[in-house]
Amino acid sequence: MTALPPTTTVVPPAAPSGARRHRRAAIGFLAPFLAAFTLFYLVPIGYAVYQSFFKVERQGTFGVAHDVWGGFSQYGEVFSDSEFWHSLTNVAQFFLISVPLQLGLALVFALLLDSPVLRAHRFFRLALFAPYAVPGVIAALMWGFLFSPGTTPIPSIADRFDLLGPDLVMFSIASVVNWVYTGYNMLIIYSALKAIPSEVIEAATVDGAGQLRIAWSIKIPHVTPALVLTGVFSIIGTLQLFNEPQIFRTISSAVSSTYTPNMVVYSTSSIPNYHLAAAYSVVLALITCALSFTFLKVTQRRAFQ
Amino acid sequence: MRTARRRRTGALAALVSAALLLTAACGSSDSDGDGSSAAGSSCKPAGKKVTLTFTSWVPGMQDTVDLWNKDNPDIQVDYKEVVGGNQGTYQAYSNQIKAGKTPDIGMIEFDNLPSFRLQDGLQNVGACEPVKEAEGKYVDWAISQVGFGEKDAVYGIPMDIGPMALYYRKDLFDQAGIAVPTTWDEYYAAAQKIKAQGATIGDFPTDQPAWFTSLAWQNGAKWFGVDDDTWTVSLDDDPTKQVADYWQKLIDEKLVDTIPGLGDPQWKALDSGKEWSIIGAAWTTKLLESSAPKTAGKWAVAPMPQWTAGDNAAGNWGGSTAVVFKSSKYPYEASKFATWAFSNLDALTLNNKNGGQYPATTEGQEDLPALTEGLSYYGDQKVWEVFAQASAGVDPSFQWGPTMTDTYAALADGIGKAVNGQGTLDEALTSAQDKTVETMKSQSLTVAD
Repeated sequence: MTALPPTTTVVPPAAPSGARRHRRAAIGFLAPFLAAFTLFYLVPIGYAVYQSFFKVERQGTFGVAHDVWGGFSQYGEVFSDSEFWHSLTNVAQFFLISVPLQLGLALVFALLLDSPVLRAHRFFRLALFAPYAVPGVIAALMWGFLFSPGTTPIPSIADRFDLLGPDLVMFSIASVVNWVYTGYNMLIIYSALKAIPSEVIEAATVDGAGQLRIAWSIKIPHVTPALVLTGVFSIIGTLQLFNEPQIFRTISSAVSSTYTPNMVVYSTSSIPNYHLAAAYSVVLALITCALSFTFLKVTQRRAFQ
Repeated sequence: MRTARRRRTGALAALVSAALLLTAACGSSDSDGDGSSAAGSSCKPAGKKVTLTFTSWVPGMQDTVDLWNKDNPDIQVDYKEVVGGNQGTYQAYSNQIKAGKTPDIGMIEFDNLPSFRLQDGLQNVGACEPVKEAEGKYVDWAISQVGFGEKDAVYGIPMDIGPMALYYRKDLFDQAGIAVPTTWDEYYAAAQKIKAQGATIGDFPTDQPAWFTSLAWQNGAKWFGVDDDTWTVSLDDDPTKQVADYWQKLIDEKLVDTIPGLGDPQWKALDSGKEWSIIGAAWTTKLLESSAPKTAGKWAVAPMPQWTAGDNAAGNWGGSTAVVFKSSKYPYEASKFATWAFSNLDALTLNNKNGGQYPATTEGQEDLPALTEGLSYYGDQKVWEVFAQASAGVDPSFQWGPTMTDTYAALADGIGKAVNGQGTLDEALTSAQDKTVETMKSQSLTVAD
């Protein structure tokens, strides 16, 4: 529809060299990205995979370690380690506790922000997003302080419920994670809501639909792709869970050193057993990829038509 | 659309495999040139002005370094304060050893020393003149901890030690008419009386496996040993089991708190009279003073309760060494500085004043003016005398394992389960034993079954 700029039609012979120049310029612009991408993403990933295929060999009490080719022996250890698989069931439970609530709240907040019912939009948008600016470690420390019977300013709650005990600690960690990430997910959903053409909403209003009806029949179906996206982020985020439980480990005896898969990787690298830690990371990355991909495949047909 | 996407993933895959090949190529050339030189047997002065790098987490260590730098223009020390070993510094050391870029001198606690020896990260400074001169100065067990039974070997210069004692609220014990326990039986009886007062005798820290270790150490436990290049592991030996069963009883009867140790919850409990005592190390002196300030003057220190009345057995909790890392080019200068910093009386005075360090040399323990004074926080008691006595009662034959980080993690996990009613301390010992053996085998060490 837009008119072509006159220059392109006037000088057709110059086009080939121009295209080449364009391509060269594009590569020039892309080069810093590609270099950084290779250096900081591909090489470390490759290095981790490479490391995972070795094992240590030594002689004597404190013999010097030699890295020898170990084939898939580290992977054998990974697959036979019950603690690692147990940590995966931990994060699976965590996902079920945390994510429906988190995404549900994010959706409700986004809808409220988008509806004419709520006043002071800007304030609430910022207030709900603000926790995301707090680093996870700080958030965990702060909430841990509130949850500990010894330090909490509201002892009536902390004394009655053992918020750091084996029964509730997962909920406590989940509430920290939700506090941090709900606002972040809300913003993604909110920006999807902003993309709904206003005439669609107007038409619905003219047809006599109320705010709830509009939210249910127009807005939620429209933001399903955004919900799927936040769902994928949540899967990845849950599998990578590390900061919050690691901090909670210092205040709760119910969080073990192998509570989440990432903590297994960390404690293995602290031994230090880099080869096994690398194998854990690779397996964890593959599981994350597989789950995100499956989730996308399953939801894709419904969400992205 | 579909084909374009496929082509893009193809390109990505090619790129990934190229990167893999690249790293593989780098890696293999790297492992060929594994020049593991025989332990540095010679140790000569560099014969020129050198600057050494030194890291530790002792508060105020900069003052000690400044004092050295002023008097030794030819051996300057560049000091950097880092976080506590288990809070990240050990991990950093491991990475630096792998990369060959360590500081010249670092701080490592006794329990983690074997693990860095296993990583081949430490230089044997046993042949260095300054070390030879100072060797006789250290208390026996401190020096036996740094040689691993090898002839003339010194892998770390003892900095400080952590003999243990019982810190208690003198005022509360006196008011309640409860005698300060001298045996573990009396400790149990006192705990029952204190519970009747609505408080607890103390805490079984759920996150301090090293604390539990030192209690086992007091009872004569031998967790690790080496016989003809074969490691023995016995975390579940009889002395340790006795300690575990004892504390299990106190935990079950709720005579002790089970909260994390050395953090705000415990300090608050101690400062508010909710807990009446803490079994701590020499370095706890300064820590308690700064963390429980409201109860100043009300504390006193007594020897650890004994298993057999009249004994003088003490555990040791913590204590550190200054190590010269393998990649350091100046072992002579580094060991010269380190032996001075941790045996010279002026330096030791600073270390004690700033960091609460209790010296690892007999001369330091006996002659340090700072250690002969009464401390007002402890009702003017000369508390260091108690630690001097405890230091003499530490079993010198206790050895640490080569994968202690993992042993501690397994032990802490088991203790967590025990205090949460999901297991017992006995089971914690069994699982820590199994995990330790498994981890040592994965490091290709020979472990006796």
